[in-house]
Amino acid sequence: MAASTLLFVASILLSSFALSCNASGTFSALQKSILLTSSPKSGQVLKAGEANITVTWSFNKTYPAGTDSAYKTVKVKLCYAPISQKDRGWRKTKDELKKDRTCQHKIVKRDYKPESDSVTWTVERDIPTATYFVRAYVFNAEEKEVAYGQSTNDGKKTNLFEVEAITGRHVSLDIASACFSVFSIVSLAGFFYLEKRKANASQQK
Amino acid sequence: MENSQTESNRENNGGFSSPVDSEHKATKLRIQSVAAPHMRAFHLSWISFFACFVSTFAAPPLIPLIRDNLDLTSTDIGNAGVAAVSGAVFARIVMGTLCDLFGPRVASAALMLLTTPAVYCSALANSPASFLLVRFFTGFSLSTFVSTQYWMSSMFSAPVVGTANGVAAGWGNLGGGATQLIMPYVFTLIHHIGATKFTAWRIAFFVPAVFQTLSAYSVFFLGQDLPDGDFAKLQKSGDKHKDKFSQVFYQAITNYRGWILALTYGYCFGVELTVDNIIAQYFYDRFHVNLHTAGIIAASFGLANLFSRPLGGYVSDVMATRYGMRGRLWTLFLVQILGGCLCVLLGRLGSLSTSVTVMLVFSVFVQASCGLTYGVVPFVSRRSLGVISGLIGGGGNVGAVLTQVVFFRGSRFKTETGITLMGVTIICCTLPMMFIYFPQWGGLFWGPSSKGITEENYYMSEWSKEEQEQGFHKASLKFANNSKGERGKRVASAPTPLEGTPESYGHV
Repeated sequence: MAASTLLFVASILLSSFALSCNASGTFSALQKSILLTSSPKSGQVLKAGEANITVTWSFNKTYPAGTDSAYKTVKVKLCYAPISQKDRGWRKTKDELKKDRTCQHKIVKRDYKPESDSVTWTVERDIPTATYFVRAYVFNAEEKEVAYGQSTNDGKKTNLFEVEAITGRHVSLDIASACFSVFSIVSLAGFFYLEKRKANASQQK
Repeated sequence: MENSQTESNRENNGGFSSPVDSEHKATKLRIQSVAAPHMRAFHLSWISFFACFVSTFAAPPLIPLIRDNLDLTSTDIGNAGVAAVSGAVFARIVMGTLCDLFGPRVASAALMLLTTPAVYCSALANSPASFLLVRFFTGFSLSTFVSTQYWMSSMFSAPVVGTANGVAAGWGNLGGGATQLIMPYVFTLIHHIGATKFTAWRIAFFVPAVFQTLSAYSVFFLGQDLPDGDFAKLQKSGDKHKDKFSQVFYQAITNYRGWILALTYGYCFGVELTVDNIIAQYFYDRFHVNLHTAGIIAASFGLANLFSRPLGGYVSDVMATRYGMRGRLWTLFLVQILGGCLCVLLGRLGSLSTSVTVMLVFSVFVQASCGLTYGVVPFVSRRSLGVISGLIGGGGNVGAVLTQVVFFRGSRFKTETGITLMGVTIICCTLPMMFIYFPQWGGLFWGPSSKGITEENYYMSEWSKEEQEQGFHKASLKFANNSKGERGKRVASAPTPLEGTPESYGHV
């Protein structure tokens, strides 16, 4: 009796885990029902902190009506193209969305509207130098991904653009580094001179 | 009153505030004191070594920012990590030579001031190549390990030399763990004040750089090479013979014990450096902890040095009072092999909590082995103490480079397989210790020589007949007498110097 209750409870738990696994989402399970375009032309280089990107997205009407009934919010993100993921495990693409690190920079979060929506975004100063595309994820009321759209093709080969990051260097920093370095070497020379003088003085005593 | 107490102590100790032996080396390690010259030298050495560790490992915790700023790949990051520890291989041998010739005070202050420009210029790095170069040159500062050990071996007598070496090196190694916590904190502070991320990490590097510069100044102005004075002064007054580099170097490289210990040290300290570089990534990738947690686990490995390396040095001294040098050797042999077994186990564990536990126990064994090694090193040579210390220390870094290149680069082995194989290598590379033999004290499997070779014979064999006739060997003679405790019976050090020189039996 106790064993069968245990088995029952275990199977309930296991099946709910299975359900939640499906619900936690893989990329391949998402509907590609959003049409998205971004302003940078293919191969264009944008300067971080200065250039603008205009992203426009809308529901793809070729999908049956009512597909978007569960859509609640949209997150538009800047994503790494395969060439910028190579030999960089921290940007790896994984099908399981929780572990996927392709899209690390948020552009905007908006409520879902079936008509067209757009945003103009200035490329932030901490965006690294890399090749990118734009993707929008659509979330339902439970904050789970249900659909997406992107500015490139499925192979992520077309319509990619680049961002040129700030160096982070400043002339004042360069000068400070140089001064401190020179000072270290000069003081070392001073120490050798002091050492020699002390040794000579003690010899004369 | 405290003043009269300290004054009467000084009278009892021949003018020193610590009790001393015939070479004026302290026979007790009083950590709460900063009295010159012994305890002050102790605190100056561990603090300056700590500063160098902080500088050398300042980049790893900031890698997530630096790799985006400089567009680094995994290969670039791996190469820079290897570069950071490979510079010190050669630098440690050079440092050993400089200590023998010029004294630890000038040698370590000079090296620290010569490498601070690399730390300041880390703020200027703008490519994978420049990043690799600054890490390479900054890594040279890890050779202050040798000056630390040399200084402690010159200031502290045989009964406490293992403890002094172990505490100074252990607390210095702490820098590698502390930096994983310090640098992110400094970065966050600077970022909040208003700098952008890609500028804030650059400014953050000024903190370890200035710390290192100030340590160098302190060593120079507050330190003293030997209990009786500085090298330069003693050399000019004739109390210390200014030795010839070629002879010092020759005596060091022809002593086979130095080479065996260099190999075994490569598989305790080298393993420690390797683990410092790969362990955060291992926990992040295999057990899916977040980056912050992985960083804390990595830091705790390094922070165990607070007690584990000193413990190794202390146990070495304790074993020596009862069993002499053979006790020191056996303890090192067993502890390091056990460390290797724990390493094999670590790679085969699949659960997070058991892995962290085994890692912490493994860290104690591997760091204690480092402390135990430097309980033996001061006795391998007296004349070439610096070069021998440098050779063995350099061997540690060679072990780190080799291990990382063979087991932890590219995708030939999964990290857990690499860790297990590293454990097997530790065991294999500790076995050659069986061949270490001191004729005056014995080795692992043999007792002292039946020919009655004494400590004086062993240390005098480093000096030629002509050099002995000129009296250059006097310091070695005193050391030989003070090291009689390594026989394992309770032999007190003689308070007055010996008269006369025993005959040498040739190079033993």
